[in-house]
Amino acid sequence: MSDDYGDLRDLYQELILDHSRHPSNFRAMPDATRSVEGDNPLCGDHLRLYVHLEGKRIADISFQGSGCAISVASASLLTKRVKGKTVAAAEALFHRVHRLLTMEEAADEAELGELAALAGVRQFPMRVKCATLSWHALHAALRDEATEQVSTE
Amino acid sequence: MIRRVSFERTLFADPPQRFEAGTPHIAGAVGLAAAIDYLAGLDREAAEKHERDLLAYATARLRELPGLRILGEAPRKAPLISFVLQGVHAHDLGTILDRRGIALRAGHHCAMPLMEFYGLPATTRASLAFYNTREEIDRLVEAIGYARQVLA
Repeated sequence: MSDDYGDLRDLYQELILDHSRHPSNFRAMPDATRSVEGDNPLCGDHLRLYVHLEGKRIADISFQGSGCAISVASASLLTKRVKGKTVAAAEALFHRVHRLLTMEEAADEAELGELAALAGVRQFPMRVKCATLSWHALHAALRDEATEQVSTE
Repeated sequence: MIRRVSFERTLFADPPQRFEAGTPHIAGAVGLAAAIDYLAGLDREAAEKHERDLLAYATARLRELPGLRILGEAPRKAPLISFVLQGVHAHDLGTILDRRGIALRAGHHCAMPLMEFYGLPATTRASLAFYNTREEIDRLVEAIGYARQVLA
């Protein structure tokens, strides 16, 4: 197929599509220590992120919800990446991903691993909120016990 | 609008100025006048006929696409077509169509209860008007096929 739309291929990489079709950790978590709802009211994306903390470590993390390929893939990659990490490491990663998606910061694959695939979103400002939805939910879940809802609007 | 304001009191202008805040929307009024002139210069019957033809054509073309479902098919509806494509989220489709120069609305269309009724998170909607062409509908159908290739 001739393809004059390389930026679309950057956005919808195989890895992103795989995660959107078969998301990791896509399940409810009855014994979650925290759960946060994330909404993108303009487009209707909706997810709930579940975190099971053991001390300062994320022992388990999962999510459920519905959304576009970008938001589901981003949430799936998130859960895969931060499971087992400390809260501090996950927070650092939140800030790193936020910079990756909102600034012209190079996608260092050695550092980011699979998360580097999210860099393609930068060329689509309308879609950045899809990719950041689950990360904001994570940030809220780790930072503040009182927060139960976040919105990327 | 006020008549006089001091530290002690505010005296408002008489209606209707009383209910107008600040500078009127002058640019908007000028734009509205231009739009009225433009619409008044159209052959309204021909425009309506063209829109009906586009709606029928677009409906038939979109129905050719496997996995595409049109929502809302009232006999005398406006030339709007909301649809969902199996396995493809409306926003992913919207982004790809946008890159192909086709502007559609994607999302819940400020009608979340209706989306809930249909059991859908979002739809994509083509809004046709008298200035659209059959050729543009062909481009839409072709671009939906392309989107499916990208996302499949």
